[in-house]
Amino acid sequence: MTQRRVAVTGMGVVAPLGNSSEELFTNLRAGRSGVHRLADSQARGMRSPIGASVSFDGRAHFPEPRLRMLDRVSQLALVAAGQAVADARLDFAGERRERCGVFVGSALGGAGTTDEGYHTLYAERSDRIQPYSVLNAMTNAPASWIGIDHELSGPILTYSTACSSSAVALGEAARRINCGEADVMLAGGAEAPLVFGVLRAWEAMRTLATEDPQDPSASCRPFSRTRTGLVLGEGAAFAVLEEWNHAVARGAPIHAELSGYGLTSDVTHITRPTVAGQANAMRAALDSAILHPNDVDYINAHGTGTLQNDAVETAAIKAVFGERAYSIPVSSTKSMHGHLLGAAGALEFVIAVMCLKRATVPPTMHLNSPDPACDLDYVAGKARDGISVRTAMSNSFAFGGTNAVLIAKSVDRH
Amino acid sequence: MSTLDSLTDILVRDYGVAREKVTSDATLAILKIDSLSLLELMFKIEDRYGVKITEDTPTDLVTVNDVVGYIDGLVARRLKSRAVGASEVPSGK
Repeated sequence: MTQRRVAVTGMGVVAPLGNSSEELFTNLRAGRSGVHRLADSQARGMRSPIGASVSFDGRAHFPEPRLRMLDRVSQLALVAAGQAVADARLDFAGERRERCGVFVGSALGGAGTTDEGYHTLYAERSDRIQPYSVLNAMTNAPASWIGIDHELSGPILTYSTACSSSAVALGEAARRINCGEADVMLAGGAEAPLVFGVLRAWEAMRTLATEDPQDPSASCRPFSRTRTGLVLGEGAAFAVLEEWNHAVARGAPIHAELSGYGLTSDVTHITRPTVAGQANAMRAALDSAILHPNDVDYINAHGTGTLQNDAVETAAIKAVFGERAYSIPVSSTKSMHGHLLGAAGALEFVIAVMCLKRATVPPTMHLNSPDPACDLDYVAGKARDGISVRTAMSNSFAFGGTNAVLIAKSVDRH
Repeated sequence: MSTLDSLTDILVRDYGVAREKVTSDATLAILKIDSLSLLELMFKIEDRYGVKITEDTPTDLVTVNDVVGYIDGLVARRLKSRAVGASEVPSGK
């Protein structure tokens, strides 16, 4: 049986640097950073109180009674998913709704609600926990609300594999379409981790970047010898994935094909990445797309800015692509939008699709001091315009060891 | 301000209920106040009326009038306990 192909027909983004895929990409191309100093209420006492937040007020999107039932993570998810549906010019009224589903990746779910609840209990010593706390905080709330709002009664699942969560959600959604179980999938990720308890817990891990004293916005420096860690970001990104003939038949705008998905696990250590695990995920994605390493024109790296990740990822890319690794542009856009954890994979897949559409590769910013262990072409400091990007790979690797790689292919390739 | 008027204000302001829909015999279901909203409403009632609700929220509150009656009962008990100088906190178990 021939595998059914997957078209990307809609994209939605609510992220640092832009509340649409176009606005985000324009800012990334210009090398702007969304990293900044956080409010004292979020980050008091932190040595490096920085993050990448979204310019977003839920009150502009939801009436007050509904807002109380939506943690910020669900608000971000609903708005980004709604954008993706509008972008796809899709009216679900004409669809068999039981063949339409929602897959969402989120590492922490409604972290703000959990934080508030604990504050009420432990700090205020009050027993007035909000009755909606469980429903707001549960990790599957964003997926469920999207399903309810759009009345999609097919599979609704939430994947929580830390930093690869939404790459997994997109890949698994594509699989549902590949195998014929679904026709349309709304898939992506959402994360809202910029709350006091979460920030302090991440700080305790010693993986967060040290604030640049001259320029806080330049604190995240992937692949640089001077890199000190990652910067947490919030946001959501969604794509409408559609069976190819279904999209063609309704005259949908097709942004790209989601043609490859590779998934492997490190199984050695809870945080330490492995070259083999990452390389095998890239190979599996190439195999599923029936592509040769020579076909890849751009890699959106996981590129967190931690000492371990960037060196291991560089070695893994070399293991897969050999000498050609040195001629593939590889960039970490996390240098600008921060690390969106469970939403990172979906956001960076959308960015990869934008590279195909715009024939432009965004830069890795703040790479001011080369690391001998990181010796690829990282598009340092300045976007590369006017290059043909027909196949783009997006890497997502996670604490816990789940490595997910997605491949987007341009439409005119067919 | 009557209990009904102040309850109406809470329902309009915090729950997005249209004011004209809040009548004594309107059911909470019609006003889209579900069981969790009702629990949350109890916090607001505690604040508004200076009462402490120590027992579980009754399950037989069906209409706006039922809620008004429940609030009036709480307020009456508070006044009575103050009059006799008793504690509002139930003692002994």
